[in-house]
Amino acid sequence: MTVAVHTQQREALTSLERVVLALQYKKPDRVPAAPLVCGASCRVLGYSYDRWSQDPNIAVASLLAAQELIGFDGFLTLVDLSVEAEDFGQEVIFPERSTALPNFDNPFIRSAEDYSKVKAVDPRKSRRMSTVIEVVRGLIEAKGKEVPTMGFVYGPLGVLSQIRGHAELFKDIIRHPDRVLEAVHTINGVLVEYAKAQIEAGAHAIVLDPLYSSASILKKETWVKFEAEIFKSVADAIRDAGVPVLVHNCGGGVYFDAVMEHINPIAISHAYPAHGSATWEDHAANWAKKVVTIGVADPAKVGHEFSQEQVLEDSRQQIETFKVAEGGFILSSGCEFPPNGNLLSARTMVDAAKRYGRY
Amino acid sequence: MSTEQKKHFERLADAVFELDEDLSRQLSIEVIERGYDAWDAIEFGLLAGVNRAGKLFDEEEYFVPELLIAADAMYSGLEILRPHIKQQFTGHSRKVVIGVVQGDTHDIGKNLVRIMLEVSGFEVHDLGRDVPPHKFVERAIEIKADLIALSTLMTTTMERMSDVVKLLESQNVRNHFKVIVGGSPLSQQFSDRIGADGYAAKAAQAVQLAKRLTGLENAA
Repeated sequence: MTVAVHTQQREALTSLERVVLALQYKKPDRVPAAPLVCGASCRVLGYSYDRWSQDPNIAVASLLAAQELIGFDGFLTLVDLSVEAEDFGQEVIFPERSTALPNFDNPFIRSAEDYSKVKAVDPRKSRRMSTVIEVVRGLIEAKGKEVPTMGFVYGPLGVLSQIRGHAELFKDIIRHPDRVLEAVHTINGVLVEYAKAQIEAGAHAIVLDPLYSSASILKKETWVKFEAEIFKSVADAIRDAGVPVLVHNCGGGVYFDAVMEHINPIAISHAYPAHGSATWEDHAANWAKKVVTIGVADPAKVGHEFSQEQVLEDSRQQIETFKVAEGGFILSSGCEFPPNGNLLSARTMVDAAKRYGRY
Repeated sequence: MSTEQKKHFERLADAVFELDEDLSRQLSIEVIERGYDAWDAIEFGLLAGVNRAGKLFDEEEYFVPELLIAADAMYSGLEILRPHIKQQFTGHSRKVVIGVVQGDTHDIGKNLVRIMLEVSGFEVHDLGRDVPPHKFVERAIEIKADLIALSTLMTTTMERMSDVVKLLESQNVRNHFKVIVGGSPLSQQFSDRIGADGYAAKAAQAVQLAKRLTGLENAA
C-alpha cells in the first residue's frame, strides 16, 4: 500500500545521510528529528493497534505513511515490549486501541522452578519476532536508501520480566539468582540471532533496550551481573556484522558509565539525565561529547499536554542545551511517542529541528 | 517495655531490614509465645525495619528488589501478629483504594506506594493491576474510602485515570473521595487537566500527598 501525501519540501540531505553524520559527530545540514513514532503510526491509516502490531504489511504501510506525513528522520521497529516474551511462551493481550501487554494473571513462569521452562526459539520462525524482522525488511525495501531503519531488541532481563512479572523477577534476583541467570543466558542467545536477523533484513542500526540499567530499579552492580555482562554479546554480534549499536532506556537515572562500559553504544536514546547528573545542563556537560544523544523530550507532555507553541519552545531549548554536542544530537522523544498522542506535535518537533537546528 | 522485649523487637526490625522473611516469621511467633504486645512488635519491629529499608531506598542503597523483599518480610510477620493485636489499633483510620488502571500491568510503583502508605498507617485496599474504572469507584464507595490512588506507567493508559474521575462525577460521589495519580509519564499538568486532587512523582511524595489531602499533614 502506498500513500500519496506529499507534505515535505526537499532538503539538502536525505534523512539517512543526516542521521549517519550526526552519529559520527559530524554536523549535518540540521539537527535530525526522530520522535519515535511507532505504534502511533497505526492511526495514520486508520488501523487498530492490535492489527498494526501483528501484521507486518500493516505496520510497514502505517510507518511509511507516518513518515510521509510527519517527515521524521528515522524508523524504529519498536512494536511493544511483549514481542520477545510471547515467542518464549507468554500469553499476550492485544487491546484494540492500546499497546499489547503480557497477561500476568497467567505468567509463563509461575515459580522459581519454572525458569528452566525457558527454552531457545528461532526468532526467524517465531510469530512475533519474525513479524518485526519483516517490518524491518519492508521499510528497507521501501525507503532504505533515504530513511534509516533502526531495529529493536529488548534486553534479556526485560524480556524475562515480561514472562515472570516484574515484581516477582526482582525478588527472584535476590532469592534465586542462579535460576534467573540461567534463563537470562537462554534468552540472550536468542536475542543474538534476533539482532542478526534484523541486520540480514537490512537494518541500518540496532537499538538495544537494557531498561533495568536504571537507578530507579536496580543497583548498578546488580544490573551488570544480571544483564550487562550477558547482553554485551548481542552488542558485539551487531558490531561484528558491521552495524552500529544504539541504546534506548527511558528509565530514570540511567547508569551511562556502566552502559558505555558493557554495551558501548554510539548513541543513547533516553528520557532523563544520566545517573549522577542533576540537570540536563549537567548531563550535556558530562555526556554529550562522549555518546550521541537521542532525545530528550518528555513524551507525555509532547504528545498529550503541550500546545504546538510549547512543543516548538521545548524543542528549541533541547537543541540549545545540546549544542555542546557539536553535531552529536538527534531531537527525539525520550520514549516512544504516545501511540494515542497528538501526531501534529511529532510533526512540530520536525519543524522545530528545521527552524532552530540549522548548523 | 522491658529490655528483653526491646531487644526482641530490634531483632525483628533487623530481620525485615536484612530481608530475612523466615526469621521475621519466627520472631513474630516468639512474640506471641512470650506474651509480648503484638502491636508493639508491629510498630517497633516490623514497621521500624521496613522504614529503615525505605530510608535506604531513598538514599539509593536499597533498590526495588530489596524493598520488595523487605515488604514481604514485614507481611510475613504481620500475618502472625495481626490476629493478636489486643486493643484495636486502626492508626488514623484513613482508607485508600489503590490500583494500576485498566490496560497497564506495571505495578512496581503502585506496590511501593502501597507499602509506604501501609507503613504510614493507612488502611490500603489494593485492587492490583489492569483495573477497570468502575472497580475503583465501586470499592471506594463500598469501604467508604478517603482516597483513590491511581497508577500507570504507560502513555496509552493515562486517560483511564480521567475515566475514573468522570465516573465519580457521573455518580455524584466525586466530592466523597480525594483522587491522586502517579506514574512515570504523568505530571501536575496532567493531574490538573483530568481533575485529580494531586500528583506525586515518587512513592514517598505520594504518602505526603495522601496525608495532606486526608487532613493528616502533621501525622507521624
